[in-house]
Amino acid sequence: MTYIPQMTRRRVLAGFAATTAAALVLSGCSGGDDGSSSSGDSGWSVPSTDPTATIKVLSILDLKTAHMQEVIDAFQKAHPTIKIDYQSVAFDALNSTIDARVANKGGDPDVYWADQPRISALAARGEAEDLTAAFASYKDKFDPTAYDAGVYQDKVWALPIANSTQLLYYNKALLKKAGIPFPSASVDQRMTWEQLTKDAAKAKAAGAQYGMLFGQFDRYYQLEPLPVQLGGSVGATGDKNLTPDFTSEQWVKAFTWYGDLFKQGIAPRGMKPEESDPAFVAGRAAYTVEGPWLIPQLGESKVDWGIAPQPVFQGGKPTTPTGSWSLAMNPFSKQKEAAAIFMKWMSIDEGGGYIKYRSDPELAASTEGKKIYFQKSVFSSPEGKKAAPIIDYETSHTAVNRVQTIGYIEFETILNQAFADIRNGADAKTALDNASTQLATAWKKYE
Amino acid sequence: MASPTVTSEPVAARRRRVGRRHEAFWAVVFLTPAIAALVVLRVVPTVGAIITSVYKAFPGGIIPATYTGAGNYESLFSDPNFVDTILRTLVFNLIINPLQIALALLLAVLFVQRIPLVGAWRTLVFVPVTVPIVGSCIAWGAALNPNGPINALLSALGGNPQPFLTSPDQALACIIVLASWIGIGYWMLFLISGLQAIPEDLYDAAKIDRAGPFRTFFHITIPMLRRPLLFVLVADTVANFVLFVPVQLLTQGGPQGSTTLLMFDAYRTTYGYGSRNLGAAEVVILTLIMIFFVLLQFRLLREEKTPR
Repeated sequence: MTYIPQMTRRRVLAGFAATTAAALVLSGCSGGDDGSSSSGDSGWSVPSTDPTATIKVLSILDLKTAHMQEVIDAFQKAHPTIKIDYQSVAFDALNSTIDARVANKGGDPDVYWADQPRISALAARGEAEDLTAAFASYKDKFDPTAYDAGVYQDKVWALPIANSTQLLYYNKALLKKAGIPFPSASVDQRMTWEQLTKDAAKAKAAGAQYGMLFGQFDRYYQLEPLPVQLGGSVGATGDKNLTPDFTSEQWVKAFTWYGDLFKQGIAPRGMKPEESDPAFVAGRAAYTVEGPWLIPQLGESKVDWGIAPQPVFQGGKPTTPTGSWSLAMNPFSKQKEAAAIFMKWMSIDEGGGYIKYRSDPELAASTEGKKIYFQKSVFSSPEGKKAAPIIDYETSHTAVNRVQTIGYIEFETILNQAFADIRNGADAKTALDNASTQLATAWKKYE
Repeated sequence: MASPTVTSEPVAARRRRVGRRHEAFWAVVFLTPAIAALVVLRVVPTVGAIITSVYKAFPGGIIPATYTGAGNYESLFSDPNFVDTILRTLVFNLIINPLQIALALLLAVLFVQRIPLVGAWRTLVFVPVTVPIVGSCIAWGAALNPNGPINALLSALGGNPQPFLTSPDQALACIIVLASWIGIGYWMLFLISGLQAIPEDLYDAAKIDRAGPFRTFFHITIPMLRRPLLFVLVADTVANFVLFVPVQLLTQGGPQGSTTLLMFDAYRTTYGYGSRNLGAAEVVILTLIMIFFVLLQFRLLREEKTPR
């Protein structure tokens, strides 16, 4: 019998259709997946006596290579009943790891490293515990912007453990060769970008391979102060900072200047951010704008270097980049009190255990921590001594945080692409306009 | 086909019933893996994308998604950048597909002729296919670097150095060249095997009828090559609509959005900007565009039904 019975075939097909339909229904359910979004009740406080607990900490710093073991050991010595189960992942994997683990609601990790511009999103997504009751009273311990970086909708969601700023470094030999006076290290006699452009062009004409560099070409962190100095916004506006605001006159002016640096050949087009420090340390650039982390590298190099505050536009208000890492707590943590003790020790106690016990020097977010930081050996050289007061002043007076918005990732990705286009010769206004419409679409999901 | 045998009715009916059940059982056994794979790998993701595209959600986190209907599609089409991306993708495909297939056909026809070292020539054209695409992208990226070997060669020959991938006017053309460098050799192989399947008698008959090479090509080769040509056309179109690696590795959609193709944009929207619902809507749009073109190609190259 080879004749295929019609009825049976139809029934088989019907069976498959039913299976398919079931699959559709199943995947349909996942589209509207439900889950409680409560951020947990804050029925906890920082206890005066230590509980016995093991807390899981998720970081981006390796225990050995990033010298975190020293910090963890110091904490466990100070709080012997609290054990730290420390894990580190690569920066690129951090956010997806937090996303997956916190959504599991198992309370792992208890504490995690939070990238400051992402704190708003972590809070809005219900992935961070409200720390207001426990830590708002410590506000005065920190530099204002560092504390504010953990605030979203008037509540505290993370505690800063480190900070950053930007400085102007110059190569004395190259400046001498071009007959250019050294910029002043005084924050009251800040150089202008206009003057720097002229001097860098001169230095290049006199033989420097590069007139000037940025530590982080095309990145919002580095470039945000440019329009802000001219009176522009930090890049977004509206109720929750979900309306793009980077097409103003000030933004166009600032980024036309940025584009011109490359058009005129004062700064190089092809260079990647990670190539910038080695180029300055090798003595190939007259100026660079970079963070304090360049100081130890310069101390070990042969370059005769000098330091000055980051420049400002003529007639503009001095503003500088800032921000670093904070610690946030998992709202599903089962050991919130022990976790809070760890967070407090890391960021507040003795100026911050993270700053105090980690041998890699990192700029502190607290006033007391900065004192510890400035005592590190890198600030003992003549130029290092000049750097300390500049860093202190910038972090307390001119620092401006990156925009606080739950849509930061889209914001930064799209804007950095526009900066790269401007660097490669695109008209600043066109590039910023395009980025603005693109971002408006990407941000529609939050409406 | 066996014709029903004439035996006593009840026995035959019973046997037929048992036989049918038997066959149905084995049909299910043999078809299940294929159907299951189709459902799991094709139907579920497609339907999943359609469903995801009508929701609106925070990227990540534990907040449930909300139904938004056509909201994501409206957002996309109100963004001129996205409309440009669709147009760019269409233009890209209208250029690259005919170009690749015409060149592949040309080479295929050339390489079935009696020319010396034909095997070596075929291998040379096919070699790029064997190199992993990531490797060829890196090699092309280095070659097309403004300070790279191609510009050195251009300068040596007295030409002007070109910006290539760093210019919004040239980057997409560079991607087309790169993708064709790989694609042509691959599609050529299918056409060669198709050409070799055409019976020699037809060409002999054409010769006797004194048909010239062009007439022979258009009246014998092309009609006889319809099946492999249709396959190559459809498969190549699909491959080029979902072309991703060169864009991701070499230009990231830039400079100034000039190489942002729909597939790359869907990826970037989903993973770069964390907008998985918007990204799903883009995937649905891409799928619809692809289905439209594939159906069009089927229609254009449909064989006349031969009466049985």
